Amino acid sequence: MLPILGALFALSLVAGFVGALSGLGGAFFIVPALVILAHVPMYVAIGASLISVVATSAGASVAFVRDGWTNLHIAMVLECATVTGAVIGAFMAGLIAPWVLELLFALIMLQSAYFELTKKGEDILPKGSPIAERLELGGELPSPGGGVALHYGVTNLAGGGAIMVVAGLMSGLLGIGSGSLKVMAMDYLMHVPLKVSSATSNFMIGVTAGAGALVFLARGDVSTVVAAPLAIGVTIGALVGSRVLPYADVKRLRIGFVIILVLVAIVMGWRALSGN
Amino acid sequence: MKAQDEDRILRVWTPIILRTVLAAAGIVLIWGLVAISLTPGEYVMHFRAMQHNARVKDYLTFAQLVMRAWHGNPRAIMTVGLMILTLVPLARVAFCLLFFIKTRNKAFVAFTAYVLAGLVAGVLLGRIG
Repeated sequence: MLPILGALFALSLVAGFVGALSGLGGAFFIVPALVILAHVPMYVAIGASLISVVATSAGASVAFVRDGWTNLHIAMVLECATVTGAVIGAFMAGLIAPWVLELLFALIMLQSAYFELTKKGEDILPKGSPIAERLELGGELPSPGGGVALHYGVTNLAGGGAIMVVAGLMSGLLGIGSGSLKVMAMDYLMHVPLKVSSATSNFMIGVTAGAGALVFLARGDVSTVVAAPLAIGVTIGALVGSRVLPYADVKRLRIGFVIILVLVAIVMGWRALSGN
Repeated sequence: MKAQDEDRILRVWTPIILRTVLAAAGIVLIWGLVAISLTPGEYVMHFRAMQHNARVKDYLTFAQLVMRAWHGNPRAIMTVGLMILTLVPLARVAFCLLFFIKTRNKAFVAFTAYVLAGLVAGVLLGRIG
């Protein structure tokens, strides 16, 4: 028993650690690792991964919420879209052939690799769209030095919401947090500052993955022998990763993560199309 | 109440809720893993069975689950732990809903109620299919 449990635990520790360092979340590495290395069926890997995403999001978002980086109001509005997508996605995952899910996973990995390479800088608007202003979605960037806080406005709520439905759908279908899609929508379309987008996305991922996990759990598609050690391992790995992150050379690491993403996407795509 | 004041209160309570439920789930999951480690052969048997089945269908009614966990069944204990873990987002959204009802922020009552309804719909959809 111990070799299997130990291997699974080690796998999840590494996935959580790398996921936190890359900012992509552990699921991006745990699903392929379970499918390719541990020969776990795709549905089981997705169900277990969704559970681990809930755990890592809860663990990692605490500091961001406390320090003021998470925009709670934006999160609550956009969660309407992500939860809708996630519930539909998780329901559909039970109806779709595993090879289609593996192919989709490979494509999403390539999208994330592209996003990692083309991340935009800050593009802050002082005033948001009328609806966003009415909902008071704008916020202030925390200033650790005690200086004047910079106000930012939020725009294009409809466009961002539409991408969030897709992000939720992918989360429920593939067992990932869809963080890169969420950050991309907030950063590119809604003009939310990048660090606020990342923190808010991290916070929203818990509810998005939770919606999908509830569908899998209620359907009986969660294997406890995989999900339990995975949840603990990924959470510990992510916590260690987030502690190491401030001391890491993120720019150099990013290139390495992009290469890993592309390689794993090729393997997953090959598996899907060749039937292996 | 202004959004900034709401934020200040939510920023205090949200981490407390997240940490408390996460810690409770972690304790139950570790308890389940220790229990299954003490039952020779059970972990490997279930792991191998899972590898050979495309769908797990690890399904019990809630009453069956609680009874089995009560009697020390390791997999039932772990399932309870996983259920507590999925309560993390539910608890957080439910708290926000109650908070916005108290502050009479109608728009955000609607948003959080929708999210909560979506999470409940997830359970119902899972039961169907």
